[in-house]
Amino acid sequence: MNPKIKKILAGTGRFLLLTFYLLAVLLPIYWISITAFKTTPEIINAQELTYFPRTFTLDNFRELFRMYNYGEMLKNSVIVSTSTGICITLLSILGGYGLARYKFRGKDTMLIFFLMTQMIPGILVIIPLYIILTQAGLINTHFGLFLFYLAVNLPFCVITMRSFFERIPYSLEEAARVDGCSKMRSLLEIVLPVMFPGIVAVFVFAFIGAWNELIAGTIFISSPDMWTIPVGLKSLIGKYEVKWGILMAGGVLALLPTAIMFAVMQKFVVDGLTAGAVKE
Amino acid sequence: MEKLILYLVFLIVICAGIFLWMHNRQGHFRPRILTNNVKAKIEPYLFILPVFIVLLLMFGNPLINSFILAFENYKLSAPNDIRFNGVDNFVKLFSDSDILLVIKNSFVYVFASVAGQFLLGLTLALALKKNFRGRGIYQAIVFLPWAFSAFVTGLMFRWSFNGEYGVVNDLLLKFNLLTERIAWLGTPGISLLVVILAMIWMGVPFFAIMNLAALQSIPAEVYEACEIDGCGIVKKFFKITLPYIKPTIITTLLLRTIWVFNSFDLIVVITNGGPASTSQTLPSYMYTRAFSSYDFGLASALGIILLLVLVVYSVVFLSVTNYNKAGDF
Repeated sequence: MNPKIKKILAGTGRFLLLTFYLLAVLLPIYWISITAFKTTPEIINAQELTYFPRTFTLDNFRELFRMYNYGEMLKNSVIVSTSTGICITLLSILGGYGLARYKFRGKDTMLIFFLMTQMIPGILVIIPLYIILTQAGLINTHFGLFLFYLAVNLPFCVITMRSFFERIPYSLEEAARVDGCSKMRSLLEIVLPVMFPGIVAVFVFAFIGAWNELIAGTIFISSPDMWTIPVGLKSLIGKYEVKWGILMAGGVLALLPTAIMFAVMQKFVVDGLTAGAVKE
Repeated sequence: MEKLILYLVFLIVICAGIFLWMHNRQGHFRPRILTNNVKAKIEPYLFILPVFIVLLLMFGNPLINSFILAFENYKLSAPNDIRFNGVDNFVKLFSDSDILLVIKNSFVYVFASVAGQFLLGLTLALALKKNFRGRGIYQAIVFLPWAFSAFVTGLMFRWSFNGEYGVVNDLLLKFNLLTERIAWLGTPGISLLVVILAMIWMGVPFFAIMNLAALQSIPAEVYEACEIDGCGIVKKFFKITLPYIKPTIITTLLLRTIWVFNSFDLIVVITNGGPASTSQTLPSYMYTRAFSSYDFGLASALGIILLLVLVVYSVVFLSVTNYNKAGDF
């Protein structure tokens, strides 16, 4: 075959493939978004499905805030997720640095320990924690939920942070050390600025992890004014009736902050994990 | 808001303590002779200590309790009748009529969704390897499902596969691929398929991102050298690409299998295990047992078995793939 034709064929194939992935992501998002703007009679009309809202309405959003206290859920989610994100970032910087820059006894065991924590079924921890938190008076508090999210998201974030650190040449730090910087100062002033994208990425991982969690939230938080977004929205799924319009409106709104964060930082992750990204 | 501040203060104080301690160590104002050897040895442990404490507190302690619970008659509905009952919970578990179905479902669910997302994710990574105009924006969109919650993804699929008002039925009917509507979520077997599709949709970006990073780390010279030797596309893939990204593939596969196996929020949202337990997997079954009948003892027994299965799986997986750097990616 002519190499030119071959090249065109490969290009077309790649284009079709990429289009397929794009549509697979966009079409479902389009579908839930337009459902949020439809009126209820239009949503549950078995005769005719509309692919664009015939009557464009904001009623679902309005009802969400007025009747179902979405503002409160939003606030709760922001509190829990932000505190989880910040604390995990701090802990991961310390842990990741320690794992990346030192050789010490028990390092391999520690890595295996992190891997082991991933194997523990969440629900196996949730059950005894439910009892422990009740005894500690932390059940039905954001603090209890925060502690759980902290632990669950920590191992992955520490390991990821370590990978980011390992991509940064050690010579950078050494140079600073020779110039008389203390260890902490070289970490704070030299390494962390270079690491900034990675730090943002870890924060976003942790934030998203807490923001999206459903099961522990449902179990640990019982009073409606403390509910996070997924927990609150789940209560709208009744046994016989599901309020689709309102659910979709709430779901789309909940997606916006995490989707934007992720879209901005996904490049950092790929670049941060690519070896040799930072040249010596 | 004041609570948020309280949480932050709590952890910042711990971290600040360590930062301060470290700051004084090897400070440039201090003569180097004074730094003693013991301090240097415990330095790395100090960095990891806070992480370790959190994990030990939130995983270690509950886990020990779980082991105890598994051998107890512990029902929240009968708080006065909590006692040691040997292996009763395990016996009860295996005499359960649904358990075989649930085990089978778990395997189908894990295997199909991990295989699906791995193949699709790797393909996407390969397609993204070469730069093109607008790749940044393209990646930002196509990786979005990672940011999606299982809850919203679940809703999305549950709504799209709705028997009466679902868009999937409507499209299939319009294109004459169906003659009548299918009750996707009400048919045994098919409801689990919808869950698997949702799981694949959510999981592709993870494999794509991790493998893309690995692919970009392969030095271009290696390919060039191979080309001079007359390598074709296929040979390049198997001789260079695959060996280079093998560590990433192994770690991502292992992690993802564990995560998929343990996660059941999609099942809770899409089918709630139905119809009649046909889309129930082991963890979702455990959840249902624990929080519908409040039989914590039985649920813990099931959880212990799950944990053992995963540990055995990981050990076997790592030794079969001959890979000893678990947790490295």
